[in-house]
Amino acid sequence: MSDSSAKPVSRRKFLKGLSQGAAAVATAGVAGGAMHAAATKPATESGEKNKVQYGMLIDLRRCIGCQACTVACKAEADVPMGVSRSWVEYVEKGRYPNVGRSFLPRLCNHCSEPHCVRVCPTGATYERPQDGLIVIDQGVCIGCLYCAQACPYDMRFLNPVTRFADKCDMCIHRVSKGLVPSCVNTCQGRARIFGDVNDPGSEIHKLIARNPVAVMRETYGTQPNVYYIGLDTTDENTRKPGQYVRVTTNKARSTKRT
Amino acid sequence: MEHHLIMWHWPMIVYLFLAGLGAGAMAVSGIVVLWGPTGEFRHRAALIARLGAFIGPLPVIIGTGLLIYELGRPFRALNLFTSNFWFMVLNPSPMNWGSWFILLFCVVATIYALTFIPWKALLSGERGERLEARSERLRAPMATVCVPLAIAMAIYTAILLAAVPARPLWHTPVLWLLFTVSAFSTGLSAIILVQRFMFRKPGAVRGAVRREDPAFRVTEYYLVSMKVLLIIAELVVIGLFIMFAHMTINSANFAVRTLLPGGEMATAFWLGVILVGLLLPAFIEGFYLLRTAVLGHEFEWPYVINVSAPIAILFGGLMLRYVIVVGGQITGPIGI
Ligand code: SF4
Ligand code: SF4
Ligand code: SF4
Repeated sequence: MSDSSAKPVSRRKFLKGLSQGAAAVATAGVAGGAMHAAATKPATESGEKNKVQYGMLIDLRRCIGCQACTVACKAEADVPMGVSRSWVEYVEKGRYPNVGRSFLPRLCNHCSEPHCVRVCPTGATYERPQDGLIVIDQGVCIGCLYCAQACPYDMRFLNPVTRFADKCDMCIHRVSKGLVPSCVNTCQGRARIFGDVNDPGSEIHKLIARNPVAVMRETYGTQPNVYYIGLDTTDENTRKPGQYVRVTTNKARSTKRT
Repeated sequence: MEHHLIMWHWPMIVYLFLAGLGAGAMAVSGIVVLWGPTGEFRHRAALIARLGAFIGPLPVIIGTGLLIYELGRPFRALNLFTSNFWFMVLNPSPMNWGSWFILLFCVVATIYALTFIPWKALLSGERGERLEARSERLRAPMATVCVPLAIAMAIYTAILLAAVPARPLWHTPVLWLLFTVSAFSTGLSAIILVQRFMFRKPGAVRGAVRREDPAFRVTEYYLVSMKVLLIIAELVVIGLFIMFAHMTINSANFAVRTLLPGGEMATAFWLGVILVGLLLPAFIEGFYLLRTAVLGHEFEWPYVINVSAPIAILFGGLMLRYVIVVGGQITGPIGI
C-alpha cells in the first residue's frame, strides 16, 4: 500500500518547528524519495483539541459474525494469503443450557498513544497529522517487525509479498476521498460506524457519548480509537475454573517468511 | 485470545547470543588488561586479554550481518541511520539508537583488537616495532573505554526486548541482569574453549606460555572458579526472573507459565538452559575444583571433559536466548 495522499514530511510532529528547507534536507537521503517531495502543513494540525481523529465504533449487539467485513478488507487492500488485516473472532462460553456466542470484529485501533510508532527505528510508522490514522510508509520501512512485537493487539504482520510491515490502514485511500472504509461500507448490520471522534456533530461522537463504550486492553495506555458497544472481556486465559470459554479467531495465519 | 506469530526467528536468537558473547569476551579482556595479574602470570594474562579482544568484535559483526541478511534488502537497512526526526538521524526507538551503538561498538572493538596484533612478528623492521609500541601504549586506554562499552552492549541486547510492554515475558526489570550475566559467562567460556584447543597436547607451548608451567594450572583454576561463580549467579538471576513474573498479577504471570513445567518452552528451558547449560558444567567443573581445593590434587582433567564444559555453557546461552525470544512471542497480553 503506498500512502500517496500523506505528506510524509509534515507528518512528523518533531519537524513542526523546522523550516520547509530543512525538512526537505531531512528526507533527501531516504529511499523512496518521491514520496517525500511535498511539504505542506495541513490546516487541521493546529490545536490538538480540534484535531481530526478518525475512529470506529463497533456495536457488537448488531454484529452477526458474517465475516463480510473480513472479505471486503481482503479484497479492498489486496491482502495476501496467510495474513489478515481485519477479522472477526467468535467467542463461545457457558455450559448447556446457559450458553452464549458473541462476535468480536478486530482491526487496528489507530491508537492515540501507539506503541508501534514509538518503537519503529526508521520512522516508517507514523501518525498522519491530518486525520490521526497510523500508517506505514512503505518507502521507508525495513521490515524489522519491531512494531509487530510492540502492538498489544497483534495487528501487525509481515506482508509476504512486499516483505514490509503491514496492517489495517483504515482504507486511507477511501477515507481521504470522503468515503467510509470498505468494512464499514459492506457491513449489512450497520454494526460499524466510522467518523471523526473529535467532531461533536458526527454520528460516532454522539454514539460514543450516549452509550456505554469500551476499548480493548485499556490498561496498556495506547488510547485506542476503535470503540465497542457491548464488549465482552471474557478470555480463554482469564476464565475461572469450571467456566467454558472458546475463542476462534478466524485470523489467517502463516509463519512463513517468503 | 490471539494466536501469536513468531516474527523474530533464529537470526534474532543467534544475534542476541553472539552479541552477548562478543560483549562478554571483550569485557573479560578489558578487565584483564586493566586489573589483571603481573609477575609470573603476566604472559598468561596477556594471552587471555588477546583472545578476548580478538573474539570481541567478530560475533557482533556476524550477528548484525545475520539480521541485515534476514531483512532481505541490505541497503534498506541504512534507513535506520538516515530517516529519523531528531537531527535527522536519531529517534527514541531502542533499535534506532541501538544501531548507532552497535556501530560504535564494532568500530571501538576492532581498534581494540588491532592493538593486540603482534605487529613485530608480522612486519619486519622499524615499522613493526613502531606499531607494536604504539599498540602497547593504546591498549590500556582502549580497555578503559571497552569495558563499560561491552557491559552496555550486553545490557542493550536485553533492552531491545524489554522495551516492549506487549510482550510480558520480555518486559521485566530482571531481563538485563540475566542477559548480562549470561554474556559474561558465555564470553569467558569462549575464551577458555579457544585456550583449551590451543593447549590441547601436553607440553604445548604458545609464545611465552607453557602448559607445564605451574602458573598455567593456577590461572586455569581461577578462570574455572570464576566461571562456576558466574553460573551460580545466573541460576540466582533466573530464580529472580521467574519469581518476579510469578509474583505479578497480570500477563507476566501467565507468560512465565510457558517456562514452568507443563509449559510449551519447559523442555527447552529446563533441559537446555538449566540442566545442560548450567547444572552440568557447574557439577563437572565444581567437582574438579573441589578435588583441588579440598584434596589438594593437581588441577588436571581429561580433555573431553575439558572442552565439553565450556561448549555446554555456550549451548546454554544460545538456548536461553531461544527460550526467551520464542517464549515471549508465543505469549502475550491476557484479557480483551
Ligand atoms: S460485516 Fe458487520 S455484521 Fe458482518 S461480521 Fe463484520 S461487523 Fe459483523
Ligand atoms: S492497534 Fe497496534 S498497530 Fe494499530 S495503532 Fe495501536 S499499537 Fe499501532
Ligand atoms: S517493520 Fe517497518 S514500520 Fe515496523 S518498526 Fe520496522 S521499520 Fe518500522
